Order: sequence, then C-alpha cells, then structure tokens
Amino acid sequence: MNSPIDLHAITPELVLAGTACLVLIADLFLPEDGKWLAVPLSAAGLIGTLAAIVSLLGEHRITLDGSFEVNSFSLLFKGLFAIIGLFVLAISLDHFRDGKYYQGEYYFLMLCSLLGGFVIASSRDLISVFIAIELISIPAFVMTGLRKRDSRSNEAALKFFLFGVLSSAVMLYGMSLIYGFTGGLTNLGEISTALAGKADEPIVILSVFFIVVGFAFKISAVPFHFWAPDTYEGAPSPVAAFLSTSSKIGGFVGLLVLMYAAFPSVAEAWRPAFAALAILTMTVGNLIALRQRNIIRLLAYSGIAQSGYVLVTFALIDPNNLDVTRQAFQSALIYLAIYGVMDLGAFAAAVAFARKGGSYFIDDYSGLFQRNPALALMLAGFLISLAGAPPMAGMWAKLFVFLAALEAQSYILAIVMGINAVVAAWYYLAVVKRMFFEQPEAQEPVEVTNVLYAAMAVATVALLAFLPGINFLTEMVERSTPF
Amino acid sequence: MPEGGTYFGQYVTIGIFALVGVVLVLGTLQLAKLVAPNVPDTDKYTTYESGIDPIGSGWAQSNVRYYIFALLFVVFDVEAVFLFPWAIVFERFGTQAFVEMVIFIGILAIALLYAAKKKVLEWQ
Repeated sequence: MNSPIDLHAITPELVLAGTACLVLIADLFLPEDGKWLAVPLSAAGLIGTLAAIVSLLGEHRITLDGSFEVNSFSLLFKGLFAIIGLFVLAISLDHFRDGKYYQGEYYFLMLCSLLGGFVIASSRDLISVFIAIELISIPAFVMTGLRKRDSRSNEAALKFFLFGVLSSAVMLYGMSLIYGFTGGLTNLGEISTALAGKADEPIVILSVFFIVVGFAFKISAVPFHFWAPDTYEGAPSPVAAFLSTSSKIGGFVGLLVLMYAAFPSVAEAWRPAFAALAILTMTVGNLIALRQRNIIRLLAYSGIAQSGYVLVTFALIDPNNLDVTRQAFQSALIYLAIYGVMDLGAFAAAVAFARKGGSYFIDDYSGLFQRNPALALMLAGFLISLAGAPPMAGMWAKLFVFLAALEAQSYILAIVMGINAVVAAWYYLAVVKRMFFEQPEAQEPVEVTNVLYAAMAVATVALLAFLPGINFLTEMVERSTPF
Repeated sequence: MPEGGTYFGQYVTIGIFALVGVVLVLGTLQLAKLVAPNVPDTDKYTTYESGIDPIGSGWAQSNVRYYIFALLFVVFDVEAVFLFPWAIVFERFGTQAFVEMVIFIGILAIALLYAAKKKVLEWQ
C-alpha cells in the first residue's frame, strides 16, 4: 500500500507528460506565426522519452502496487509509440501550419494520446488499462473535430465520440463483471489465477465477450468498424494517420495485455470468437476497400483488413501449447511494428500529394510517376508493403502470422488469410498501376516539403532494411516475450 | 429468496426491489386516476395553478458563456474531491504527499492559465 514509487520506471511517462504541459504553455505565449514551434518542442520531448526508454532497456521493474510493469514488451511498444509520434509530427507540421488550425492544442492532445499508449503498454491492472485506453481515446475525439467550422470534421468527431463512449461503456461493464466474479480483483495476474478452470462459467464468457467487443470498436474490427472510414475521412488527414496507427496499436496492446496476462486460463472460451472476428474483419475490410475512390477511405478499409490479420494471432492462443502461443504473440508484435511504419508512410504520401497539385481522389493519382517520381516510387513501396509483397518488410508481417496459423494447425484461418492477401493486392496494385502506367490529367509538378520527404524516406529505408534485417526484429520480439 | 449469497442471487433481490418500485409508482398513479374527481377548467391547465403567470416560452436560451464556466467549475470541483482524502493522509506521507499535490494542482493551474490566456474568463 505505502510502497514508494519507482520514479525511474515511469520516467518515459513523466518526460512525455511534462512535454505535453510545456507545449500547451508555450503555445499560449508564442505569436501566431511562431506557433509551429510546438513541433520541434514536441519532437525534442519525444526524443527525450526515447532516451528514457533506452535507459530502462533490459530492466524489469514493477511499481505502483503491481499495476505498472516495465519489461521489454512494454519498452518495445513505448519505443514504437514514440517513433509513431515523431512521424505524425512530421506529417502534421505543414498541414497544420498552413491550415490555420489550433496548433498548440493539437500537439498537446497528440502527446496526451501517445501518453495513453505508453501507459497501456505497462498496465497490469484493470483500472490502469481502462484509464490508459481512455487517455488514448478522449484526446483523439477532440483532435478529430479540430476543424470546428467544417461539418465533415464535426460529423467525424461526433461518430467517433459516440462509438468510442459506447465501446468504453461496454468494456467497463465487462470489467465490472470480472471484478465482481473474482471477488474484487483488479490485478491481471491474480485474475488469471482466479479464473483458472472457469472457462464454462457463463458470466466469465459474458464479461470477456464484453471486454473484447469494447476493444473491437477501438481497433475497428468488423462488425464494429462503421465509424472508422467516416472518421478518417472527415478528420484532418494527419489525425487520421495518428488514429489508424497509434490509436489502433494502443487498442491492440490493450488486447495483448488482457488476453495474455488476464484471460489465458479461459482461452478456450474466447478463441472461437477471435477466429470469427478475424475472418470477418479481413474479408469485409478487403472487399469494401476494392470499391473505394478516396485514398483516405481506401487506407481506412485497408487498415481494417490489416487489423484482421493481427486478430488471427489471438485465435491461435493455446495455454496448453506454449510454442504456438509464443509464436502467435511474437507474430502479433512483428505485425504491429511493421504495420505502424508502412501505414504511416502511406498516409504521409497521401498528405503530401493532397497538399499541392493533387487531391485525395484515387483518380487523380494517374501518372503521378511523371509528375513526381520520388513520391510515386515511395508510395508504391508503402502500398506494396501493405499488400505484403517483397521487397518490402510487409511481407514478413503477413508471413509470420501465416506460419503461426499453420503451426497451430488452424488451416481455415491460414487459407482465408491467403485469399485475403490476394484480394488486397488487387486494390493496392491498382493504385500503383495508375501512378505508373496511366497518363496524368494535370501536368503541374507535385511539390512535397522536405520534412515529408524525410519522413517518407526514413519509412522506406526502414521497410527495405527489415527485409534482410528481419533477424533484428525477431530477436527484439523474442526478448520481449514475457513467458 | 433463492440463495442470496451467490453472485446472481444478489441480482434477484435487486430485481424484486425494482419490480416493487415500478408497481408502486404505476399503481398509485392509476389509483389516483380512478379515485380523483375530474373537473377541468382553464385555470387548472396553467403551468403554476396558483402562482404567477409565466412570461415568455419555456425554451429560453441561456448564454453559452455559462458553459465554459461550468467546465472550469468541474475541473476545480474534481480537484476538491482529491484534496479531501489527501488532507487526511497528509501527516502520514509528509513531504512526498506535499510535492505530489503541488504537481497535481500545478497541472490544473495550467488549465486555468490556458483559460485566462484564451480570454474566456472575461465577460464582455
């Protein structure tokens, strides 16, 4: 009860929270044309958190009465969130500077949402998991509605808010049932012990079901995905990039923490639900993506389908077969890490194209190679990576999940995944074909800012480097497996 | 009562109470309708039968500025909720508790500073 707080263990969070406050204060005193300075300030803060994360590498610490654990798993995701944050800053800089948005507020909210991601990676308690997931979501609602005079932005924010609150309520109800059933436990490890052998209790099934449904909204799994495309389209595009990476990965981290730490002992009760969710999410996401004409909506549906591939790994968890469970866990980690980079790259390219000389309509991508070869090549790289084809790292992401499914002898899931990969390749490659083999309607060159070029170049290099350098990632993930 | 000790058994108790509550309200209303004499006249349909005649419609707008004051009020209301338990354990924790509360209030003070800089505290 009265244990001292291990301050070193929470330094990344402290640095990030401090940065967020600093950004908000600085914004109040900066003149109108200097408000963009919030970006270098936030970036410095994020680099500071990365330093704090590095200082904790290899440590294993538990603090705040067992509700906060620092291990390689949580540090891996904290690092990923910090890198995503830096990418989103790069995508946002010019978009928000030119758009007369509320810049200081935006960067403050983004850092707060990232802080939620940091906390959820370390949460080992129902209460802190819930607070972290709310900390991810609530700033995101406001960020979505930042263009407050634009009715599409309002619509996006309202939909996102209503779905988000509904999902939180459902999740919280499930958590409260678990709390009641276990006689007042909130620590995930203790819950796991208390639930052992209770897989056929209706109340356990019901509460886990509620919690999974709550998270399914957050990660936009079918049939709880309706908000995502409208929200991404109506929100400022950098916010859409943030939602489809940081916010979604945050939801997945929450699911990983709960499913592997709190509910593994009742896995047979929820495994079939995840299989159904995964098959629906992959298939519906890909089929609807085939018909999209707006690049943001295309990426939204592709993001839904990508969630489906990660959900496959949850359907493989088997407490009696440690090898399979480890493989499922590691493939999920690899998928999320690679997905974050390639999705941000694609969003960065979409934002870069729409900024000057282009639009969000896929028809306007015709002949982009002639107008701006570098942008076309990099966007093609990200799309090929999302499709899961070499020479980009996206191939490994799909391959590891596929192998894990084969190892678990879930052949149906593996087959559905394979078919979906082919369907998905169709719409990604359709955009690539349009960029390279069709004549442009407009001739003016597409100008891209240096910051966006730099962000896309880093993402491209990372995706190319992970193809031969996958050992680095697998080793990191191997070390991040806490069981 | 079916075994009130179990988790679901407790819900049965709640269910019975809820049912009694609903029946009580609906029953009395129905009873009043049956027993009371019904002699309508125009005075009885005014909003306040024996009070002052209302002026204007019930859909009056209140100034939107109250909304921001309400939000700020909530911030510091919640602060007070946290201050009370803190005050109770303050002696036991000493300096640590003091520093933590200063940080907490500091963060809330940023909210106030923000509101002041955005000129929402001025009533134009």
